Amino acid sequence: MATPFIMPKFDMDQENATIVSWLKQEGDSVQQDEPVLTVETDKVAIEVTAPAAGRLAAIGFREGDVVPVTTVIAYILAEGEDVDGLPSPATPAKAPARHGAAPAAKRVTPVARRMAEDLGLDLGQMPGGSRRLTKADVESLRKSVPPPPGKAAATPAARRLARERAIDLREVSGSGPRGRIQSADVTRAADAPHAPPRRTGQEVQLTGMRRTIAERMQASFREAPHISLTVETDVTALEQARTRLNGRAGGEAGPGISLTATLVRLAACALERHPYLNASFQEDAIYLWTEINIGVATAVPDGLIVPVIHGANRLSVTEIARELQHLTEKAQSGRLDLADVHEGTFTISNLGMFGVHQFRAVINPPESAILAVGAVTRRPVAAKGGNQVVVRPIVTLTLSADHRVLDGVRAAAFLQELVRAIEAPDTLLE
Amino acid sequence: MPEMSYAEALRSALREEMSRDPRVFLMGEDIGRYGGAFGVTFGLMDEFGPERVRETPISEATIVGAALGASLLGLRPVAEIMFMDFVLLTLDQLVNQAAKARFMFGGKASVPIVVRMAGGSGTGAAAQHSQSLESLLVHIPGLKVVMPSTPADAKGLLLSAIRDPNPVCFVEHKLLYKTQGLVREGDCTIPLGLADVKRDGKDATIVAGGIMVPRALAAAERLALEGIEVEVIDPRCLRPLDVDTIVRSVRKTGRLLVVHEACQTGGWAGEVIASVGSSEAFAYLDAPLRRLAGADIPIPYNRNLEQAAVPQQADIEREARAIVQARI
Repeated sequence: MATPFIMPKFDMDQENATIVSWLKQEGDSVQQDEPVLTVETDKVAIEVTAPAAGRLAAIGFREGDVVPVTTVIAYILAEGEDVDGLPSPATPAKAPARHGAAPAAKRVTPVARRMAEDLGLDLGQMPGGSRRLTKADVESLRKSVPPPPGKAAATPAARRLARERAIDLREVSGSGPRGRIQSADVTRAADAPHAPPRRTGQEVQLTGMRRTIAERMQASFREAPHISLTVETDVTALEQARTRLNGRAGGEAGPGISLTATLVRLAACALERHPYLNASFQEDAIYLWTEINIGVATAVPDGLIVPVIHGANRLSVTEIARELQHLTEKAQSGRLDLADVHEGTFTISNLGMFGVHQFRAVINPPESAILAVGAVTRRPVAAKGGNQVVVRPIVTLTLSADHRVLDGVRAAAFLQELVRAIEAPDTLLE
Repeated sequence: MPEMSYAEALRSALREEMSRDPRVFLMGEDIGRYGGAFGVTFGLMDEFGPERVRETPISEATIVGAALGASLLGLRPVAEIMFMDFVLLTLDQLVNQAAKARFMFGGKASVPIVVRMAGGSGTGAAAQHSQSLESLLVHIPGLKVVMPSTPADAKGLLLSAIRDPNPVCFVEHKLLYKTQGLVREGDCTIPLGLADVKRDGKDATIVAGGIMVPRALAAAERLALEGIEVEVIDPRCLRPLDVDTIVRSVRKTGRLLVVHEACQTGGWAGEVIASVGSSEAFAYLDAPLRRLAGADIPIPYNRNLEQAAVPQQADIEREARAIVQARI
C-alpha cells in the first residue's frame, strides 16, 4: 500500500502550512523520519519528515503553496508500487484521530462552490482561516489563474457589445458557465469607471509569518485598549553589573550578557509581584499565569518572531543570556521549534541597537503587556540628592498594557519596581 | 365574438367555406353521421348532404388520391385523416403527386387540397395513434404545414388553407379539440406563414407549436412570478415559417428555446434554430440556442411514460430558467 503523505498539523489551531521547499524530489528514495520538506506555519518553519520509507511520488504541491493541514501532498511508494489508481494529492485526507478533532474541511458557501466547479477552480489552493469562502474569494482566485490561451469564451451578444464599445474581452470576467462572458458582463465592464493607470510597484505575497503578524497585531490593536506609560531610568549600576558579569565570564566561551538579558531577568522578578502584567484577557475571565515566560522580539529576515524564555524568573542572568543567544540563532536560521515560541506571558522588545530613543509596542496577544526598550544614551540629568547636573547612561522604557486587564496604577507600580531593580540590580543579577 | 371549442371553430370554418364556395367538399372516414373521430364534422352531412360530406372506405391513399384528382379538375376538397399516423399511407399521393403537380406542369395545375389530420399524444392511444409527424411533412417542398393552437387560429387558418391553391397539411391536436376560446364570426382568415406572438417578454423567446403553446404560456406565467419574462411565439405555420418574427424576438431577448412534441432528431426545432443562428439575431445571442422536444422513442402506452416522453410545462420552465440564468 502506498503511504499517503499528509501535511501535518503542528498546533491545535493551525489550519494551513506554506511549503517553503522540498528537500527531496519526485522519485527520490526516503527513509522513515527523514526530512522531506520544510513548511512554514503561522509561527515557525518546520521540517516535515517522511511517514514511511520508500520512493517519493505524486507530489501535488509546489513551493509557496498554502496547503490545508491533513491534505495529502504526496505518496510514499514501496518497492514495485506505482501511483496508478491513487487519488490525486490535494484530496483532503481525514485528520488523524486526535482528541476527536474534526477534519479541517474547507467551509465554502454553496454559491462559491458552484462557481468554483463551473470555473474548474480548486478551492484547496485558497488560504482557509475560520471564515467561509465566498463568491468574492472564488472571483479573486479566478483572477489569479491566468486565462487559457486563445479566445475568451463569450456569447455572440457579448462579442458584438465588446466590439461596439471597444472592450477587450480578455479583460472582462465572465459570469456564465465556465466563465463564459455574457452580454451583461460586457455592459458592466464598459460602464465601470476606468481604472486609474496601473501603478508600478512590487507585490509581496503574504507569507505565513507576515500574514500572522498582520492578523495578530490587527487583532491586538482592535481588541486590546492599549495604555502606555513611559519612564526614564539610570542604567549606570546595571551597566556596571553587566561589565562585571561579562568580565567574570570573559575567560569562558559563553556569550556576553546583553542589556536585554538583564532586563529579562529583572522584569521576570518584578512580574512575580505584579501578576496582572503576566496575564491574559479572555472572554470570560482574566487569567493570571503562574509561569513567567518572557518573549524577546527578534528580527528575522522577513519579519519578527518572539522566542520565549520559559520560567525566566527561575533562571540566572547567565542562563538567560545563554538561552537568548541560542534562541536568536535558531530564529535567524528558521529552526525554531513550536515549543520555543509557545506560551509567552510577557514580551520585551528592544530597538535600542538602532538608536531608537523611545517607542510604543503593540501588545503580543494574548499577553497583557509589552515593554519597549529604547537606546541607552548618555544624557545630562540632575544628580540624586543634589543640584548638580551629571551625565548618566539613561534608557527610556515604555510599557504598553491591556487596559481591560489592568489600570494605569498597576502598570505604574510594576514600572516603579522595575526601575528600582534596574537602579540597584546587584542582588538580582548575582 | 362567441366562445367556442377548437373543434367547433374548425367546423364553423368548414361550414362557412362550404356555404361560400360550392367547390368545397369534405372526404374522410366516419365524417358523416358520426361526425368524425373527434366530432369536427358533426352535423355537416345533414346540412350539406352526402355529396359534399363524403364518407370513404378505410383507405387513406384513396382519400388523398381522390382529393388530388378532384382538385386538379377544379374542386376544393378538404380531406380528413382520422389519425395523423395514417398520413404515412398517403405519402405517394401527397409527396410524389400533390406536392409536385404545380411544378411539373409549369404552374398550369394547382392542387387546392387541405388534408386535416389529428396528431399528438396524451390520449393513451399508444405508438401508432399518437405520433407528431409534422416534421416529416415540413421537409417536403410543395406542401404547406399548418398547426393551430387556439380555436381562433384553427378557424382563421383553416379558412386560408381551403382558399390556398397549394396542398396544405392541417395538423390538429387531439388534446386541443375541447379547449375553448373566443372566435370571430365570419370571414376571419389568418394568412398562412404568419407567426403570432402569444405573450410578450424580454428575457427569452420560446417558440412553441400546437399543444406546446398552452404549456409554454402556463410555464411563462410561472416564470413571471420569478421575474423571468419570456416571449412565447406560435409560428402557426411550420412551412412557410415566419422566420422574421422569431428573429426579431430573439434580437430582443438574446435567448431562444424551441419546444415541440415531435421527437427531437430531425425535428422542426432544428430548422428554427438554424434559421435564427444564421440570421442577424446571432450577434444578439446571449445563450446557446436550445430545443426541447419529444424523446426519440415510439410513444409509450403507459400514461406516465407517455407524459415523460413529451415536453411538459415543468420541463419548459426548467429549460427556460436555465438559459435565462446563463446556466447552460
